[in-house]
Amino acid sequence: MAKSFPFSAIVGQEDMILAIQMVAVDPSIGGVLVLGDRGTGKSTTVRALADLLPPIKVVEGCPYGCDPEAANPCPSCQQRLEGKSATRLKSVTRAVSVVDLPLGATEDRVVGALDLEQALSRGVKEFAPGLLAKAHRGFLYIDEVNLLEDHIVDLLIDVAASGENLVEREGLSVRHPAKFVLVGSGNPEEGELRPQLLDRFGLSVEVRTPQDLDLRMQVVRRRDAFERDPEGFRAQWEDANAQLRQRMLKARKAVGQLQVSDELLRTTADLCSQLGTDGLRAELTLMRAMRAFAALKGHKQVGTIHLRSVAPLVLRHRLRRDPLDDTDSGMRVQRCLDEVVPA
Amino acid sequence: MPEPKASSDSARAWSDAQLALLALQVDPVGLLGAWVRAGHGPVRDLWLGQLQKLISCTKVPANTDTERLLGGIDLAATLQTGCLVQQMGLLTQAQGGLVLLPMAERAPSFLVAQMVQQLEHATFGVVALDESDEDEAPVSESLRDRVAFWLDLRRTAYAEAQEALEALSPSEVERARQRLARLSASDEQIHGLCTTAWALGIYSLRAPLLALRLASVHAALIDKDAVEDEDLQVAARMVLGPRTTQWPAASPPPENEPPNEPASVSDHAPDREPPTSESPPKPPPATPPDIEELMLAAAMANLPPRMLDQLMLGSQTTARTPHSTQGTSGQARSAKLRGRPLPPRRGSPHAGARMHLLATLRAAAPKQKLRLTGRAPQGQGRLPLVQIRAEDFHIHRFEQRSSSCIIFALDASGSAAYQRLAEAKGAVELLLQQSYARRDSVCVIAFRGTSAPVLLPPTRSLVRAKRALEGLPGGGGTPVALGLQAALQTAQNLKRQGSTPLLVVLSDGRANVTLKGVGGRTQAQADALHAAGQWRAQGWNALWIDTAPQPEAKAQQLAATMGATYFPMPHVQAQRMANVVGDLMQLKA
Repeated sequence: MAKSFPFSAIVGQEDMILAIQMVAVDPSIGGVLVLGDRGTGKSTTVRALADLLPPIKVVEGCPYGCDPEAANPCPSCQQRLEGKSATRLKSVTRAVSVVDLPLGATEDRVVGALDLEQALSRGVKEFAPGLLAKAHRGFLYIDEVNLLEDHIVDLLIDVAASGENLVEREGLSVRHPAKFVLVGSGNPEEGELRPQLLDRFGLSVEVRTPQDLDLRMQVVRRRDAFERDPEGFRAQWEDANAQLRQRMLKARKAVGQLQVSDELLRTTADLCSQLGTDGLRAELTLMRAMRAFAALKGHKQVGTIHLRSVAPLVLRHRLRRDPLDDTDSGMRVQRCLDEVVPA
Repeated sequence: MPEPKASSDSARAWSDAQLALLALQVDPVGLLGAWVRAGHGPVRDLWLGQLQKLISCTKVPANTDTERLLGGIDLAATLQTGCLVQQMGLLTQAQGGLVLLPMAERAPSFLVAQMVQQLEHATFGVVALDESDEDEAPVSESLRDRVAFWLDLRRTAYAEAQEALEALSPSEVERARQRLARLSASDEQIHGLCTTAWALGIYSLRAPLLALRLASVHAALIDKDAVEDEDLQVAARMVLGPRTTQWPAASPPPENEPPNEPASVSDHAPDREPPTSESPPKPPPATPPDIEELMLAAAMANLPPRMLDQLMLGSQTTARTPHSTQGTSGQARSAKLRGRPLPPRRGSPHAGARMHLLATLRAAAPKQKLRLTGRAPQGQGRLPLVQIRAEDFHIHRFEQRSSSCIIFALDASGSAAYQRLAEAKGAVELLLQQSYARRDSVCVIAFRGTSAPVLLPPTRSLVRAKRALEGLPGGGGTPVALGLQAALQTAQNLKRQGSTPLLVVLSDGRANVTLKGVGGRTQAQADALHAAGQWRAQGWNALWIDTAPQPEAKAQQLAATMGATYFPMPHVQAQRMANVVGDLMQLKA
C-alpha cells in the first residue's frame, strides 16, 4: 500500500486535528463529523490517522483483530482458546486500521456475508467479515457521509451504538465486536444528514479552505515534496510523529485520572439547557471531551478553559434547527458560552 | 515542444487537448487524468484514438461490479474448473496507466466513489468521458476535483481538429520522466500559483498542486532544467482556467491592498459563513511579481466564452440540481435489495444483488444430464450432485417505487377570500380521490396570521382530510415565507422517508408577515423570496396557483424563484385545478 502523508506535517485545520486527537484519546466520545469544502485536506488527515496511535497487539489470524487481552473474545478467538489449554493467544502487532467506507458500498461489504471463496472451493459455510470487522479498534471513514444510502446509515447507527455487529442472513448467525471511531466527512450543501446519525457523532468540525496565502503555499509545498519523495518526506517527519504518538499515549493514560468537578458539571448542564440540546448525550460527551482535551494539553485539572475550547465542537451539531435564525450554529454556541462561562 | 497555434476558442480547446495528451503520456499518475466533456463524435474519437495509441488504457464500463473493479473471485471460471480462480481488478490492471470511464456522468455512484478512493493511492489516472449537456449534472465533483485536465471539446469542429502534435517516442518519454524527477519549482512560483488560484476563486488546494505538477511536466517536455514562467502560464491556463469560479479583483492589484477581492469571495464561499464574523482573507503579500499577472491572464484566456458572460453578470449559478449523481427519484427504479419483488432475472449475484436460489436451480435443472455426461469422473473427488454454471444464476429484482406526496400550502389569510378558500378545499378533496387510486399521499399546510401549521400530515385517508379541511378558518395576515418554510420541512421529511414531494401553493403571493411573525411588506417579501430560493435549491417540483383576482406580479416572481410552474386562476375552480395538478403529476411520472 502507498505511504500516507505524515500526520504531523499537516498544515492548518487545527479544529479537525484537535477533534481527531481527542477521539483517539478517548474513543467513547464518539465519532468526528467533518463538514466542509473539497480539497481542504480532509482525506489526507484521515489517511494519516494511523500515525496517531502506536501499533496495537492483535490475536494472530483473528479476522476481527481482537485484543489478546479482551474480556470477551470474538467467536473465532473463542474457538482458538477452546482448542488449546493455554489461556494466552499468540499475538502480532500491526498499525491501527483506517477503513474506508465508499459511497454505494453494498450491505454485504459493510456487515460481511457468506464467504464465497470458502463456499465455492471447500463447500463450507463461513462468514467473510466486512468493513465493520476490519474497522474494529480503528477508524471507519465515510467520505460524503451525507449522501450515504439510508439502509447503510441504519446499519451504522446500530453498530456504532452497540459496538457489536450482529449478522443474521443467508443462514449465517454471527456476532462479533466492532468498536470503531466513526469519521464522516461531507459538504452540507449537497445534502443533510439524518438527525439520528448526526447525534451519533460526538464532535463536529467545520473545515474551510485555508484563507491565509502563506498557509496555502505551505500546504502545496509540503504536498509536492511528499509526492516527489514519499519515503524521504516521511523519514523527515518521523521524529515529530514519534513525539505525537508519545503525547497521545501519555494523554490516554492521563485521561483516566482526570476528574470533572460537580461545579463544572453544573455549568455544563446550564450551557446545554440554555442551548436547548436534546437529551443527556451532549453533557456526557462534553464531560468526556473536556477530560480528553485537558489530558492532551497535559493539564492536571479540568476547568472552564477546557469547557470553552471543546463546547463548540461538541454542541454545534446538536442544536435544534431554528428556521428563524440564520446564524451559524457555531456562533450560537459561542454566544451562549460567553454568557455562561465568561472568559 | 512546439506551442500549437490556435485561431479560435474551440481550436484552442483542441490544441490544449493535444498538449494534455503529451503531458499524460509522461506523467499519467501524477496528473491523475482528465475530465473530457465532448459528445460522441469524430472529434472525440480522434482524440481517444490518439490517447489509446500513446498510453495503455483500461476501459471501465458503467456496469462493472466491485469484484471486477477491485479484484476478487472469478465466479464463471471457478465454477467451470471446480477450483478457485481469482481475477485481477481493472484498477490494478491499470496501474501506471489510465482508466477510461465512458459515459462518466451516468456512472453509478459506487463506481465513482470506489474509483476516487483508489485514486488517493495514486497508481493510475482516470479519463472521464462526459457526454452531459449544459443542463445536466456532469460527473461527480469528487472525481473532477482530483484530475488535472478539464477539457471541453464540445464546440470543436472536426475541421479544427486536424492538427496533431507529434507523439513522444518511448525514449523521449523516459528522458522527460527522468527530467521531471529532478525538476522543482521555486517558492515564488508556488506562491504565484496559489495567489492566482485564490484570485480566480478556486478554493480546493488540489488545483494549485495539480497546476504545479503540470508546470513541471511541461518544463520536462521542453527539455528544460528549471520550471519557468512559461510553464506556469501553461499550467495556469489549463488547470486553473477551467476551474475559475469568480472574476478576479477588478484590476490586478496595483498596490498592496486589493480592496475588493475578499468581498467578491462571499458569492461563492459557503453561505453559512457570516460576513462579519470572519476576518477577510489575507490579501496576497505586497508586490505580486509579474508571473502572477501573466498566469492570471493565461488562465483567463482559457475561460469558456459563456463562462465569461456568467461571471460578468455576477455569476448567478443557480443550483438547479444540487447533487444529481443519483438518478431521478419519485419514479420507479428497479432496485436490487428492496421494494416490491419483480420476476427474477439472469445476472451475476455480485454488485449488490442477491441470488434467487429457486430460479437459479430451475434454470440449471434441464441441463443437468448434459453436464454430467459432458464431464467424465476424474478419479479424485466426486462430482457435485447439482451442476451449476455461471449462466444459470438468477438474481432478485425489486421495484422500488417511491410514492409521491402532494403538499398543499393554502393561503388562508384575509386577502384570500373565503369563497376561494372553500374552492381550494374542494380541489384538495378531488385530488385526494384521484391520488387514492395512484397511492399518492396528500399533506395540507395552511398559513395565516403568524403561523403555518401542518393541518394534515401526509395521509391517504379521505375522511381525515375532509375533517381537517372543514375546520380550517380564514383571515389574518399573509405569511408566505412561513408557509414555504413549513412546506420545505415537510418535504425534507418526506424525502427521507423515500417519497417524492410535490408542492402546490395556493396564494396571491402578497406577503405581509415576515418569518419572525411581524408585519412589514418589504421584509415579508424578501423572506418569502428567500424561502422560495431554498425550495428551488432542493430541486423539487412545485406549482403555484395564483388566487388573486388578476394575475399578480409578486406571485409570478415567487413562482419563478421557486422554479415552480405558474398558473393564474382568478377564480379557482376546484375541478380545473385538480386537472392541472393531475396533468403535472402525469408529466413527472
